[in-house]
Amino acid sequence: MECFHREKGDITLKRLREPLCILLLVFFLQSCAGWVKNRDYHPFDAAKLDKLTVGKSTVAEVTDMLGAPSTIVKLSNGNAYIYRRSLSKGTGLWLLILIFGNYEKRYDQVVIFFDKKNIMTHYGVTLDAHKAAYGLP
Amino acid sequence: MVLPSMHTRQPMDSRKLFFFVMYSIIVGSLMTGCLSYRVIKAVEGRSVPNTFAEFSVGTTTLQEALQTLGAPDQVAELEGKDVLIYRQSLLTNKGLSFGIPFSEIWGQSFDFSAYGELVRYDMVVLSFTPDGILSEIASEKGSHYPYLKTMLSEMQ
Repeated sequence: MECFHREKGDITLKRLREPLCILLLVFFLQSCAGWVKNRDYHPFDAAKLDKLTVGKSTVAEVTDMLGAPSTIVKLSNGNAYIYRRSLSKGTGLWLLILIFGNYEKRYDQVVIFFDKKNIMTHYGVTLDAHKAAYGLP
Repeated sequence: MVLPSMHTRQPMDSRKLFFFVMYSIIVGSLMTGCLSYRVIKAVEGRSVPNTFAEFSVGTTTLQEALQTLGAPDQVAELEGKDVLIYRQSLLTNKGLSFGIPFSEIWGQSFDFSAYGELVRYDMVVLSFTPDGILSEIASEKGSHYPYLKTMLSEMQ
């Protein structure tokens, strides 16, 4: 009896193989995927920050080394120069009736604080852009 | 017990196969136009580290904060204090749509859709005196809120 059930199952599977293959083919023919990559690029080299000295380096030295900042913010006791660039990666997947999308944007940022005499007082660095990744939600 | 006839596999004849392929393509095409479910997620910025919990008002300096958390996403001056903002935004968009596009033939059509978009923020705001001493900390962990519960909540 057990043998009969197994045989019956095998035959059902064999019969279904062809239609299933066709359905699978149709499923993939109706599907598509896409990738996108966007870069907001500013060519500053964060490694050059090691050559700058807190309490000594001036605005002129910083801009000579890193170039023009993306933004300048006026603060209570001076200014902050912000250097920023970003990398975004997106993935789209259409599977017949299912649509998946994923988008990730990460930044490289350097923020340098200057006092009123234009001397560098602090700085912060975040290099995270390379962590942007393709993926599914 | 095994019946001999059950061993023989009967492949689809070419006529049946043709109709099956055509039927599958037509149904597949109609389904893509009529029914869809989408999930879209977008993340901007890095996750805000929890290390700010070790900061204490009145003692933590600007230099310590920058060393621990890195460069802030936003810097501003607010009422004589310097504010650093660390932020990650998480967007979730989900939608379910079902419709039968009969409008060209019938003049009427059925369309049932439900869409929702939720943007949550993980954020830390640090406020410093002009001397560079931490004077205030504010934080929010928006990513902890579940999508559906937050969307259906009556709270503004």
